Amino acid sequence: MRVDTLRVLINSLSKRLVAMFAFLLSPLFLLAASDVVAPPKEFSPLNWDWISILICLLIVLIILVIARAFDIGSLTEKITGKTVVSWNNVNAYAGMVFLVLGLIGVWYELVYHGKYLKLDHSASEHGSTLDSMFFWTFGFTFFVFVVTEILLFYFMYRYRYNEKRKALYYYHNNKLEVIWTIVPSIVLTFLVLRGFTTWSKITSDIPKDSQEIEVFAYQFGWKARYGGDDKMLGNSNFNFISGTNPLGVAEDGAVVELIKELEGEVSKIKLKQATAADSIKVWKAAYDRMVATGLDRTYPEEFKGVKEKYNDAVSGGYERQLKKDLKRKNTALKRISEYQKDKDFFDGSAKDDRVTTEIVLVKGKPYIFKFRARDVIHSAYMPDFRVQMNCVPGMPTQFAFTPVITTAEAREFKNNAEFDYYLFCNKICGAAHYNMKIKVTVVSSEAEYNTWLATQAPFVAPPAAEVPVAPAATDSTSVVKKGTVAIK
Amino acid sequence: MGTAALHADHHDHHGDHHHHKESFISKYVFSMDHKMISKQFLITGIIMGVVGMGMSMLFRLQLAWPDEQFGLLEMLLGKWAVDGKLDPNFYMGLVTIHGTIMVFYVLTAGLSGTFSNLLIPLQVGARDMASPMMNMLSYWFFLASSVVLLSSVFIETGPASGGWTVYPPLSALEKAMPGSGLGMTLWLSAIALFIVSSLLGGINYISTVLNMRTKGMSMNRMPLTIWAFFFTAILGVLSFPVLLGAALFLIFDRSFGTSFYLSDIYLEGVGALENIGGSPVLYQHLFWFLGHPEVYIILMPALGITSEVISTNARKPIFGYTAMIISLMGISFLSFIVWGHHMFITGMNPFLGSVFMILTLIIAVPSAVKAFNYLTTLWKGNLRFTPAMLFSIGLVSFFISGGLTGIYLGNAAMDIQLHDSYFVVAHFHLVMGSAAIFGMFAGIYHWFPKMYGRMMNPTLGYFHFWFTFVAAYLVFFPMHFMGLAGVPRRYYQFTLVKEFEVWMDVNVLITVSALIGGFAQLFFLFNFFYSIFKGKKSVQNPWQSNSLEWSTPVERIHGNWPGAIPEVYRGPYEYSRPDREEDFFPQYIADDSAPEVLVPEGEAVAPTANEPEEVESSVFFAAIKRVFGLS
Repeated sequence: MRVDTLRVLINSLSKRLVAMFAFLLSPLFLLAASDVVAPPKEFSPLNWDWISILICLLIVLIILVIARAFDIGSLTEKITGKTVVSWNNVNAYAGMVFLVLGLIGVWYELVYHGKYLKLDHSASEHGSTLDSMFFWTFGFTFFVFVVTEILLFYFMYRYRYNEKRKALYYYHNNKLEVIWTIVPSIVLTFLVLRGFTTWSKITSDIPKDSQEIEVFAYQFGWKARYGGDDKMLGNSNFNFISGTNPLGVAEDGAVVELIKELEGEVSKIKLKQATAADSIKVWKAAYDRMVATGLDRTYPEEFKGVKEKYNDAVSGGYERQLKKDLKRKNTALKRISEYQKDKDFFDGSAKDDRVTTEIVLVKGKPYIFKFRARDVIHSAYMPDFRVQMNCVPGMPTQFAFTPVITTAEAREFKNNAEFDYYLFCNKICGAAHYNMKIKVTVVSSEAEYNTWLATQAPFVAPPAAEVPVAPAATDSTSVVKKGTVAIK
Repeated sequence: MGTAALHADHHDHHGDHHHHKESFISKYVFSMDHKMISKQFLITGIIMGVVGMGMSMLFRLQLAWPDEQFGLLEMLLGKWAVDGKLDPNFYMGLVTIHGTIMVFYVLTAGLSGTFSNLLIPLQVGARDMASPMMNMLSYWFFLASSVVLLSSVFIETGPASGGWTVYPPLSALEKAMPGSGLGMTLWLSAIALFIVSSLLGGINYISTVLNMRTKGMSMNRMPLTIWAFFFTAILGVLSFPVLLGAALFLIFDRSFGTSFYLSDIYLEGVGALENIGGSPVLYQHLFWFLGHPEVYIILMPALGITSEVISTNARKPIFGYTAMIISLMGISFLSFIVWGHHMFITGMNPFLGSVFMILTLIIAVPSAVKAFNYLTTLWKGNLRFTPAMLFSIGLVSFFISGGLTGIYLGNAAMDIQLHDSYFVVAHFHLVMGSAAIFGMFAGIYHWFPKMYGRMMNPTLGYFHFWFTFVAAYLVFFPMHFMGLAGVPRRYYQFTLVKEFEVWMDVNVLITVSALIGGFAQLFFLFNFFYSIFKGKKSVQNPWQSNSLEWSTPVERIHGNWPGAIPEVYRGPYEYSRPDREEDFFPQYIADDSAPEVLVPEGEAVAPTANEPEEVESSVFFAAIKRVFGLS
């Protein structure tokens, strides 16, 4: 078994290792690289690739032998007094080789991967200012990078050790030092000022008519909430969250239902508490029976569960947990009923809210995303829009932007008919973090958006007769109410 | 053993040590000799490094070939890799423990613990640390901490897995992910022990540097290594307690029902939690108040070592000794007020964000000064490429290439796009990971003769360097491009998002390079352990270096010098002085035939024929020097 598994690993790695060794050692840098980027996709444990493994071993051996040989070389050098190989020179040349290959590699990366980088065609208005900042910063840093690395490796080559030469006794020059303190300072001041204005504009310059969309993060997915016909998001609170009300919006019906649900749970817990002694007895008996009959060894998986319950019962953990659960549910009930007293909080504007599993935006319209998180910190990341903001439980955050490229347009210039914008989670949040995303679609007209919104069910389906009149009425009253709240 | 006593009658003391027979336990295990403690730190650090690197290779396999099955993984990890496919939870665990080990155990304790212990007494001319007992405790707390952390990998629910920053609420809620249970408790215990170790060490380093310098060793004659360790220790002593506070609050939240970091949380299967009023962002502020100085705690010792190694092997005085100290000082000071740049998009007040952005970009100035000074030190030098020198040059290269990308990330506006993307991974692995580990390698190759009295094989060292250097660039350079394309970090696999599939070939390239880089460390491990026992015997001063540690005998004795502690007559970087035949002039050699010191460090030198004319110290520098008493 062990040999087999090892074989599988060696087999799967050997080809790539060989390719990489070739990549490192071969002067044909680019050719080798094109081999490496397309590794063999399939492998089978049956065809154990002896040749690759042998080549691998051989390379390691050769390296060791060379090392050894040079050691012997240095010994003979000592004995005979002649220089066989000057490692100092070898290293100096190697530095130059590295510099040249490295610069070619950098250039190759820029050409090869440049087209995937999200540095142009920003899908949002503010994104292009970021892109131009990137351009300036890149220009400056890339220049410094290339010049200093060239100097570093050139000095390495040019000033390699020579017995006949003595290094320059030169330890100080104020003029030089002042120059390379002042010049970076000036360049950085320029970058800081640009960064400062761009950042302030993005974070503070929010158009008044921006449409609010709530983006709600949970383990592991996203939901969006649109204001519905009144374009106003109803209030919400984490205590209201339930199976039918995943975002915890403040809506009378749903909350009343939740209270019933919680009360049911409370009575269940109380029942459990009353019968705790009996349950504990049953679990103890089950445990003892399994141990006595030797079933614990025949069915280890089942026994694990039984043992857990037994441990819980014996340690008193079971009852403690019940007590904790009860307290938590009661606290939730108390908090909900306090909120219910506040009629302003339940202003009815949540009734027509649309909770959706997709985000649809209209090109050229300003939006403000209001982020909430249900359980842990998430981060809403939309690289195409140059948007990112953490979603923090207990602390609402927001990001305002204006989309400028529709999905259809993006598909066109990316030459990819299946392309879609996504909002990803970008803060480690648990096992399925890597698959936590929501599709974002940018449409070209309000009409398209309205068609889509009509397909999304409002939180509470309005009674058929009232539809044309009622929303408008609640709308205006709720606005007034909100206004008074704000004035208070 | 008081400082005064040590200085007053070191002759007697020395006599005691010399004839006193130490038992195996007191010599090798519970040793209070700083040299032995430094070796203990080093070997523990190397072992932790092998573990941390091994972990990174495991998760790199997953990233490059997410659909393939690796028998080895199942063999190694059992239920965490059923059918040879890594479990997503354990992937997170590996990422977390890899980060924790590398940042704290290898690059903080392994690097600064080793070389501060070894070099501070030897280079300032002291018989041992100010408090050898605390020093010993520092190591044993560190070892205990390492054991606790490693043990967390073997428990049923897996190790802590919320990333090395362990942000609550993820790390505070046991139900949020399996690793937040016992694994997280062990992580917090390990870190608490680690902080104790770090504080015991740091206080010791500071007091030794301030109080126990030998005669003539004024602050402005200290090697830059000592300056770097000194500032590092100050940073550690000031910032680690804050992390302890953060960890303590987290422990309270986890176990005692407080709400420092928790508010408005609804958990699937549990319901709405009672906690209200806390703030997860508070943790981030506390964490990064340590976390940012921490990256300089990692980097500065490496920079110090590099200064020493480059100057010695370039046979040339380090350029701008005073400027180097001032920039270290500037970096140390600024590192305390820039932590917010890790939090631009956490929902922090945008204005606060701009303040942190300005402060952050200022830190690039002293860093640039350091890089330019290294380059100028190499200019017109007479470079000997020992393995230590190669690794130092590698450090300079990484310091530049990784440091420059900091200008992107320190800019709040660009950070919107780059935050938590692979760009960040590339940035810190180059500037703080690779650079610091190269500094550590440089230190090991350079001071190995001082530690073990034997030489490491240089040829294996060259192979080690070139493979590691190339591999590190191949691993981390392409990551910049992934980051710029908006690929998030800490993703278990990229095949579920169409857009990221174009990066699969790059992921393969990175993984293969990482494997090669990993295997290249075998050159080092073999060389290191082989040379301890079988290496060529070293001479007293194998690199013809100036600093004080090479005046001790090859045979390592408790108390360092057999006779009186030598006196120091000049700065440590007097290489290739035109008035001397030899190209070095040790600090500890009094020479009546030559003027004692040509000129005080950092002031105008009498120009010789082939030298450029010196410029008078500017008013600015003179003022700074006066303020800090540097000359």
